[in-house]
Amino acid sequence: MGGLSVAVEFRDVGLTFPAVAGESVVALSAATCTFEPGKVTAIIGPSGCGKSTLLQIVRGFLEASRGDVVFVDRGSAATAPRPAMSTVWQAFNLFPWLTVLENVAFGLELRGMPKPEREALARKAIQSVDLSGFESKYPRQLSGGMRQRVGIARALVMTPDILLLDEPFGALDAQTRLVLQEQLARLVEESGTTAILVTHSIEEAILLADTIIVMSARPGRVVTDIVVDLPRPRSFATTHDPGYGKLFDRIYALLRDEVMRAIVIESGNR
Amino acid sequence: MNSRQCRNLLDDPRVLGWGSVVLVLAVWEIAAWLTGVNSLYLPRPSQIVVALVTMFASGGLVVDLLMTLYRIFAGFAIALVVGVVLGVWISTSWRVRAVADMWVAALYPLPKVTLIPLLIIWLGTGGPFMLTISTLGAIFPILINTVLGVRQCDPGLVLAARDLGATPQQIVRKVLIPSAIPSIFAGVRLGLGVSIILVVAAEMVVGKVGLGARLYLAGQILETEQVFAVLIVLAALGIAVTKAQDFIDIKLGRWRLA
Repeated sequence: MGGLSVAVEFRDVGLTFPAVAGESVVALSAATCTFEPGKVTAIIGPSGCGKSTLLQIVRGFLEASRGDVVFVDRGSAATAPRPAMSTVWQAFNLFPWLTVLENVAFGLELRGMPKPEREALARKAIQSVDLSGFESKYPRQLSGGMRQRVGIARALVMTPDILLLDEPFGALDAQTRLVLQEQLARLVEESGTTAILVTHSIEEAILLADTIIVMSARPGRVVTDIVVDLPRPRSFATTHDPGYGKLFDRIYALLRDEVMRAIVIESGNR
Repeated sequence: MNSRQCRNLLDDPRVLGWGSVVLVLAVWEIAAWLTGVNSLYLPRPSQIVVALVTMFASGGLVVDLLMTLYRIFAGFAIALVVGVVLGVWISTSWRVRAVADMWVAALYPLPKVTLIPLLIIWLGTGGPFMLTISTLGAIFPILINTVLGVRQCDPGLVLAARDLGATPQQIVRKVLIPSAIPSIFAGVRLGLGVSIILVVAAEMVVGKVGLGARLYLAGQILETEQVFAVLIVLAALGIAVTKAQDFIDIKLGRWRLA
């Protein structure tokens, strides 16, 4: 993975979309948080709290309307340019007209890497997500879980400094989700990559993350961040750890109130 | 053959299709022969086949066919390139779209045959005229379907491509156009059909060579067998084009059907 040790610091970052008709929309109110290099940071919060907005701001696809987003090199303590990032999407977003191999090699192809090289790297990435043998299949021929493994391979093959996971397993059934969480936990542990995970699932956040940022209902603020000090490697067995239960309860208590508020806010908007 | 085999035969679409053609021709041949109808009005299929063979062997029908094919496909090729490029431009720039919307709305529903007199005044009746009329026929369906296809592209795919480092130009070439191909191909089908109609119609009005010209001439001199012979060539052309498109459609559709 990328050897960069760049942290992402959010200082009072907010994003308000100007009004097209009626009120302007506050997508993110004031987030202050840090994403440390080499760590997995999970962002958890109720629907509409601006989790995905926050991720898009990190990626640079959305620009904050207030506050500062700063990239800091932890080696020299100087500001750094935006590190390389790749995203794994909830909706997979695989190119349906390309095979698994071509999908995974797509980003390398854009860089102008010659075909033999990029295919060799893509095959390796496909192998790392246990999809060897499916290189020439099209996305429609795969199950949801397999498609998302292609999505993970497509992001990892770019060797990003930061891996962005936007509710990566949100569209999958509960069992597939469990298996993929374990697989992703292993991949992230082995590579030591920096990752930011947006999720609805407390379990997923605890299994994968070093730090969990809990966000409030809309307009989204950071309520607190929680360090996950459970031993690695983590797997489904980690859920039997007494520390797991304590963490789960603590996060649930925080989220429960926010989710209730979100429900009230949403029904008020109808 | 027992009745079950017979029914199996009737379940085969190819047998039904070709069988109906053979049946109609046979009934036609026998009826014309029995009633003794004047071949000036309705020649028998066998007479038409004789005329067709004669026209191919010595009457220069090959030249007419090639000329018509050239006019159709040259104009169509121009329409394909211009239509797709313009269509992508329209769907990626709101300014271009604002301008083009007016012109497309005005020109698309206009029956293109009504442009023949004006085009003859401007271009004469030679090659440029034929190419223009053929291009005009095909370009609107291709352009409109390209715009539709690009607009229907999943925004998530564009985002994913940007995330993987695609430049705007790469997004057009590697995401927008590929995802619009099924729709573009639907436009190609419609456009090619209109091109064929327009080229043959233009040939009938002003052509000296070409299937339309030959058809019109044969009608003028009451060579009814030759009229039918040209019609058969046109029908065969239609079948060939349709089947070729079906074939390409299946090839292109692999990832959609899978």
